[in-house]
Amino acid sequence: MQRRQLLKSTAAFSAASVLGAPAIAQAPKKITFLTWNLVHLEAPLKGWIAGFIKSRPGVEVEWVDKKGPELPAYYQTQLAASTPPDVIDIQGALGLEYAAQGALLDLTPRLGAEAAVKARYEPAYLSNWVFEDKNYMVPYYVSKTLLFWNKTRFKEAGIAQPPASFDDILAAADKIKGAEKTGFLTLNFDWLYWPLMQMNGVDLLTPDLKKATFNTPKAAEVITKLAEATKSGAINPISWTGRWVEPNDAFATGNVGMLHAHAPAFFWIKGKGPWINGDTLGAAQMPGNWATPNSHGLGISKGSKNPDLAWDFVKYLTDVEVATAFAKIASVLTGSKEVDKAQLARFQKDDPLAFQVLSTQLEHTDKMCGNWRLGNDSRVKDGFWPEFQSAMLGRKDAKTALGDAERRVSRELRRA
Amino acid sequence: MARPSRRPPGSPPHWPRHAIMIVVSFLMLIPFYWVVKTSLTGENIYAYPPRIVPVDPHLFNYVDVWYMIPFARYLLNSVIVTAMAIAGSLLFNVAAGYALTKHFPGRRWVVMLLLSCMLIPFQATIIPAYLITSWLGVLDTWLGVALPLLSTIICIFVFKASFEAVPRSLIDAARVDGLSEWRIVTRILLPLSKSAIATNVILTFIWSWNAFLWPLIAIRTPEMQTLPLGLARFLSVMEDTTGALYAFVVLVLIPGLAIFLMAQKEFIRGLTSGATKG
Amino acid sequence: MTWFRRKRTREAALVVCFLLPSLAIFFLYRILPLGWNAWLSVHAWSPLKAAQFIGLEHYEEMLLDDDVFWQALANTLIFIACSPIAIAAALGIALLVNSDLRGAAVYRTIVFLSYPLMTVAVGIIWRWLYDERGGFINYVLRSSGLIDQPVKFLQSFDWALPCVILADFWQVLGFYMIILLTGLQSIPQHLYEAARVDGVPATARFLRITLPLLRPSIFLCIVVGILNSFTSFDLIYVMTNGGPGHATELLITYIYKAGFGQTRFDYAAALTVVQFLLLVVLTVIANRLSGGNAGSLER
Repeated sequence: MQRRQLLKSTAAFSAASVLGAPAIAQAPKKITFLTWNLVHLEAPLKGWIAGFIKSRPGVEVEWVDKKGPELPAYYQTQLAASTPPDVIDIQGALGLEYAAQGALLDLTPRLGAEAAVKARYEPAYLSNWVFEDKNYMVPYYVSKTLLFWNKTRFKEAGIAQPPASFDDILAAADKIKGAEKTGFLTLNFDWLYWPLMQMNGVDLLTPDLKKATFNTPKAAEVITKLAEATKSGAINPISWTGRWVEPNDAFATGNVGMLHAHAPAFFWIKGKGPWINGDTLGAAQMPGNWATPNSHGLGISKGSKNPDLAWDFVKYLTDVEVATAFAKIASVLTGSKEVDKAQLARFQKDDPLAFQVLSTQLEHTDKMCGNWRLGNDSRVKDGFWPEFQSAMLGRKDAKTALGDAERRVSRELRRA
Repeated sequence: MARPSRRPPGSPPHWPRHAIMIVVSFLMLIPFYWVVKTSLTGENIYAYPPRIVPVDPHLFNYVDVWYMIPFARYLLNSVIVTAMAIAGSLLFNVAAGYALTKHFPGRRWVVMLLLSCMLIPFQATIIPAYLITSWLGVLDTWLGVALPLLSTIICIFVFKASFEAVPRSLIDAARVDGLSEWRIVTRILLPLSKSAIATNVILTFIWSWNAFLWPLIAIRTPEMQTLPLGLARFLSVMEDTTGALYAFVVLVLIPGLAIFLMAQKEFIRGLTSGATKG
Repeated sequence: MTWFRRKRTREAALVVCFLLPSLAIFFLYRILPLGWNAWLSVHAWSPLKAAQFIGLEHYEEMLLDDDVFWQALANTLIFIACSPIAIAAALGIALLVNSDLRGAAVYRTIVFLSYPLMTVAVGIIWRWLYDERGGFINYVLRSSGLIDQPVKFLQSFDWALPCVILADFWQVLGFYMIILLTGLQSIPQHLYEAARVDGVPATARFLRITLPLLRPSIFLCIVVGILNSFTSFDLIYVMTNGGPGHATELLITYIYKAGFGQTRFDYAAALTVVQFLLLVVLTVIANRLSGGNAGSLER
């Protein structure tokens, strides 16, 4: 019957295509490069890839870009199909999770063998991706949080200097708040708010990362103070409900006294806030010089079929020429010492305010917090953050929130 | 297609019904209006109070969208995938629906099996679906994106019901005339099942055109992306800045609405002819 | 006798051939994955480690130790429980437009217009409607004096879920209406005539004739409503991503997050199995409530 013939031929065709067609990323000398939300840099990236291929005949580089929330889903399915992208651009904590899973290639031997390459990178940022004494990624572009302060609002409130302590922050915020104005705003994703806790001596976990240590009277005091400040309007509630656009936009309106965010926020708010210049905006470290890093690194998948080629590509992307061009176009710091030095020098000449902002990124790199080397970072965060958020928004009192958070975090730690 | 209202004497007046339906229609249409107005307005869309009528309307947002992203390419991908899904599903669903009109041993089990398949959510099948599609070698192709939709249970049952409504005498007569089973389906049953066909077309169109998660997983190269992916991509590039996002939304919805409006006449006609059959 | 047997085998062959393509698709994309999930749910597995049988540990964790699961379950049930409201509204509309009302076709089209839309687009549209600056809803509430300050609907722990449900309601109303209309159209008119002649009042006609004969359509609507808590994945992904906290987390979004956010596919598989069982139970209940036998589907 015709139908049977059709079925037979379909089966044959499927079999043939499985045997005949090369699966993606199995062709020799081809690597896939997965980036995190860099679609606006399509033209330059393609240019750099062309540069890489030029000197390597027979090599292909496939570039795939995914938006932040979609990237993990994409990566996981590729991993499950044994066709993981060879080179990946991943954001800090997620990189550690993948490393803990065993998805990433240990780069320590390669870095050990090529001391010149290892010396390129700023050690504090390089060590971001050390998990169980093995180095899994190298910095691609780095940042950490700082305090932006609206000089006009400060002058109005009669405050001359940016805050030097936690209580200073609360006092200044309280003075600045008013009808349409709020005193303090922070970004909150990926533990960015943690300096507020750290500067009060509250740490999330013990150094061995086995136990939760944040359920203390001091922490309860800090949380209560933050919650009260939020309720009174000294702290803008968007701090606890917004993500990127909302908080930065709010600060850009000029009605907020302080913004705690990482350096890339500067370029965003500058675009939205015509009032911003050296006289109206200041860049400072948070009290105690504490900051949460939010960096992107390059790693190689363990399942890569061309690890050497992938490593070549990683080196290529972070060498002076390409990294400098990248830093220029994206206005970022790369975590490569030489490139960043030149970048800062350029900004010092062209844009003193940006220079002020970016300088904070390379200072006090020993005071980075909020970046615990956890293989299940996102789960621990999911145990902590909703409770913290509830407390900030007045839905739970500090003690209950901390108790619940401790329970949930401990559960995750137990399961790890 | 307005018919003069023929209400039997003594029955309640029509105007309350009109009033309710006008309010309902208004509520249903507001979201469309609000988005279109935002896409046309020239001012800062976040200023409060928002204007009811677009201030300084212009079409530049639409032009921006067309040039900023490969809209035409995304459109083409969506069209091809959907066309494949509709063609394939008509074939498979008609066949399966017809098979289910026969009384064969185990029919009850097959029906139960199909019904329970409906309860399996797609989000949980992603990884196996991806692996299977990869094994078949059709990842990142139009066929691969269309594949899961080539048969749907609701449509099978719609065809089954439609075929069962055809008088047996017609079918028996055709068989006596020596027509093969497939011919019976195409010559006798299908022409009498226009509304079932329209239902299949519309539903498959909706599911395929709007699919987001599956194309997200199954497509690697940017040139193969379909419209929903393009929309989500656009969200990341132009996060919340201008009415351009809403212009994109409108552009994305227009083909879908246009096709639906064209096909729905047949759809509605099928329904109203059912009324006169009494 | 041989003639009869040949006819039977021919008919059997025909049935198999005609069913095969559809069954193949369902096998590949529904049954096999479900089986994979069931197998995976009793193992500990990650894409890079071999699977290890651990029995019911995942289920223990889910039921005894996972607050988010219970919240997602509650939210899903709330979501599903709201569908009868939508179905009732759709029934009302269907009754109104199922008559010699001038322009009934226009009304029908307007109500159904929202269904063919891309759910991602619907999410964006409603997110904009709820926006506290440029959104329509806050504008109406403020300019009519009902509230002073804009309400951040999608960021409110109390309002987020109802808001998402409303957006879904808007999209699915037309679909329910069409199903119910089809059902209404197939009720023979002479039944009404006979009842009218007998002097049966309108409400009794509705309760005794319309509703019982609409059972299969209502059953279909309820099933669609239950399944809607799946397709709403796109909506929630765009509008709230399960937030704030887990206020709009449904089982389906939690499954996705457990798998792709927390990279715990084995746990996600266990959640999938539980969700599947839940749906089977709900469908059986719906079947009973609408008079059993799933209406015409099983004739």
